[in-house]
Amino acid sequence: MSEAAGDTRAGGMAVSGAAAGERERSSPTGTVRVRVTDGPLVGPVLRRTVSIVLARADWPLDGLDDALLVCDALSAHAPAHSLSGWVALSVEANEREAELRVGELTCEGAAQLVRDSTLPVAGNVLEGIAERVSVEPMDGEGSQLVLVLSCG
Amino acid sequence: MTPDMEFALEARAENIAIVRHVLGGLGEAYEVPEEKLSDIRLAVTEACANVVVHAYPDGQEGQMEVVASMEGETLTVLVRDWGCGIRPRPDSPGLGLGLSLIAALAESVQLGHGSKEHTEVQMTFALRDPVASTSTHVGAPHGGNAPPGPNGRGE
Repeated sequence: MSEAAGDTRAGGMAVSGAAAGERERSSPTGTVRVRVTDGPLVGPVLRRTVSIVLARADWPLDGLDDALLVCDALSAHAPAHSLSGWVALSVEANEREAELRVGELTCEGAAQLVRDSTLPVAGNVLEGIAERVSVEPMDGEGSQLVLVLSCG
Repeated sequence: MTPDMEFALEARAENIAIVRHVLGGLGEAYEVPEEKLSDIRLAVTEACANVVVHAYPDGQEGQMEVVASMEGETLTVLVRDWGCGIRPRPDSPGLGLGLSLIAALAESVQLGHGSKEHTEVQMTFALRDPVASTSTHVGAPHGGNAPPGPNGRGE
């Protein structure tokens, strides 16, 4: 499997800081990484992956709802900015916080993905729901979008 | 064959439910009949359970990877691990039904080692034909591995 979206097999989680370390220690599932080819599987697989990881972490229903809105935005727009024809996501959660990493995006793809997720009335879905939104370069080429969600 | 979906996660018992849940996405995306989807989920989760129980003994941590590829009306699913390989295990804690169950549910099953020094179980499923094929067999995809004997891993 690709190193994108936070490989944990060699060298630990691809995040930095004390919060990330705390999340890794307390995550009931560990990091779950998924790659899906652009097509009909993207939406169902992203939604199901995120929902069950967060449910395992005992997230409340309103937090799950918000996370699924994020998934809908990602599955709608991420394929257009994919570097490889894949949508790559890693997700890890504890009972308070979840980190989603969307990888294998083009150099401008992560930033563009955030801009694309703006709805006419509601505003930007990703920035509105996520506690933190950041764009990071990937090893080699491309970019990844890092979203930290909080359930209160 | 180009995969349509790959996912990787820690080989823990509680993570098998994640595999099972995510596989349900096949039903949403491709309108797989519910009965067939149930067979697929059961066979794949059985293979994942084998990884959790047998691949990483003595409390070792390790990864499992599930790769699904769709070609026409055929779904191929690989379950991989980087553990101790498939070998006889007289002290197996299982009932010895796992591989038989997988073989009964899938059109074909192959056991072997892949190029990334991993162990893999490859299962193929016909998505639309409700009549089970009679060509089910268990064999080694890369020419080197006979199926495990009595009480071997995965039974």
